[in-house]
Amino acid sequence: MKPTTRTRRFVAFLAERLPAEKMSLQAMVQKKEVPVHRWSWAYYLGGLALFFFVIQIVTGLMMLFYYEPSVATAHASVEHLTNNVPGGALIRNLHAWSSSAMILSVMLHLLTTFAMKAFGRPRELTWVSGVLLLFLVFGFGFTGYLLPWHQIAVNATKVGLGSIEQFGEYLPGDLADLPRQIRETIQGGATVGQATLSRFYAIHVVVLPLISLGLLGFHLLSVQLHGMSPGVDRPTGRTEKFFPLFILKDLKVWGVVFLMLAVVAICVPFDAFLDYPLGAPYNPLGSTPDGIKPEWYFFWMYYPLELLPFWLVAGGMAVLQVGLLLVPRIFRGTSRRVLRTLAAAAAIYLIVITLFGQAIYEMFSGGH
Amino acid sequence: MRARLATIPIIVLTLALLPLAGPAHAHPEFEKAIEARSGRTIDCAFCHAHPDGPEGVHAGQIGALSPAEMQALNRARTAFEPGAEVDSPILNDFGDHLVTALGKKRLVALRQAPLQMVDELGDSDLDGDGISDAQEMLDGTHPLMRHHGAPGSLFVVNLQRSWFEILMLIIATVFGVYGISHLLRWFGHEARSALGDDARSALGDDARSASGDDARSALGDDARSASGDGAHSALRGEGEPHDG
Repeated sequence: MKPTTRTRRFVAFLAERLPAEKMSLQAMVQKKEVPVHRWSWAYYLGGLALFFFVIQIVTGLMMLFYYEPSVATAHASVEHLTNNVPGGALIRNLHAWSSSAMILSVMLHLLTTFAMKAFGRPRELTWVSGVLLLFLVFGFGFTGYLLPWHQIAVNATKVGLGSIEQFGEYLPGDLADLPRQIRETIQGGATVGQATLSRFYAIHVVVLPLISLGLLGFHLLSVQLHGMSPGVDRPTGRTEKFFPLFILKDLKVWGVVFLMLAVVAICVPFDAFLDYPLGAPYNPLGSTPDGIKPEWYFFWMYYPLELLPFWLVAGGMAVLQVGLLLVPRIFRGTSRRVLRTLAAAAAIYLIVITLFGQAIYEMFSGGH
Repeated sequence: MRARLATIPIIVLTLALLPLAGPAHAHPEFEKAIEARSGRTIDCAFCHAHPDGPEGVHAGQIGALSPAEMQALNRARTAFEPGAEVDSPILNDFGDHLVTALGKKRLVALRQAPLQMVDELGDSDLDGDGISDAQEMLDGTHPLMRHHGAPGSLFVVNLQRSWFEILMLIIATVFGVYGISHLLRWFGHEARSALGDDARSALGDDARSASGDDARSALGDDARSASGDGAHSALRGEGEPHDG
């Protein structure tokens, strides 16, 4: 293929995905319609994820006024925020609960989008930007976990970063040292310390939010340009206006969800679920406590890593990540029925491993 | 030289009391019993100052104690009977409370049946989270952290404590949702009335009946026609491009 032909095809591809003629308020807002059918509830999940992201930004900014990113004071500053600052515990709880809620809604959004085949032409780039946002959300979770600098935070981060180095065992020659170098680049030194905290802090509060805002902007623009996918094989023919009807319904859902979130944040501190809560700062001279685990949203890969050979799980993760990005190409001709079955299987796996992962682990590892 | 001489009686006293006081290490029987009962993992910081227990050379461990702290430790070790005020440098407030409430002799005896301690602790609640220390032992949650407790119990306690704030939140949400619902109805009403005018003037009464009286379609396709050129495009069969 001649370069000019290739360029022309690429421009045509982009022009179809980002149609300039639709970039108007009238096309993107006034004329936009939302299909009405039995899967319509799934159209609210993206908005919910956005809502939780906004809560993350607002509560995160509030906590920035008190948080000190230093190994000597990080824990004390979080403790001060939680115990002495009026409303501090509530803000921290809202941040923790809404982060989990955001990850849950992003995962559900991905599964339902997949099941409804909403990644089909011309929405491929919408899907890809959504998958990248999912990766970023996990990045937020991983980097934010370290910031309180308590036992579980630091030790879980050590375990997480340590798994990067394990890739070296499966790489040939000089490449074998590459994972170690990557790990030390991320953690800023040979061990998890001040440099790691500084880097995770910068990544969590500046780098990831900036990238997220850019990607989110593209994702939302893309959604508005192409409208909602029909989502079902036989559309009912019924639609409702995106503006104002769907937006206002979205607001109602957000109001009810915020009420639930606030009640949970007031009544159940997120620390209550941890074995080693915000009790004492991380002690580098102390031993690693038993039962160190990542947050629940990493269980889907944590328990397989504990039970199966590393190369198998790492290979599976790599295939999964690339596969997710290539979904629009791989499943181009797949029927919605098959996609729904695959999405249901993935959902069942996620629920089972998250709720019963520990029991499964104990069953296969002999109770240790 | 004088200072060094002054420490001699302390060392002698310490050595004399050690056999009376029993072993210095933490009591893993309690830790194991609590973990088995609660399903949670705990460490020595449940009762001790250091998460790895009293033996060692770090802060809160015996090897790092000053002479004055050694004296305090020895006083604590002689609290065999309940009721003595204890301030041990190797225990946290809960550990001190256990020695005060039960006495060292009883504590050592309870190593055979650790969870019996729960019946003898009373209803003290050192962290003020609304869950008694005894219950926190059973739940495997820290008795000195008011944000750590069995989630269900904390939910009930905090719901009772914060009922007014929660009630205000519910009222605000109900009013908000009520307002939005009425806004929706108003939009629907406006859309229908605009549609009625447009359809009558541009398409005649037939077009209105063809568009159906379904409220949802009125708010969707029909409202689109009210927004401007929609009435004509609807008749031409134009719509948003959807992939299959």
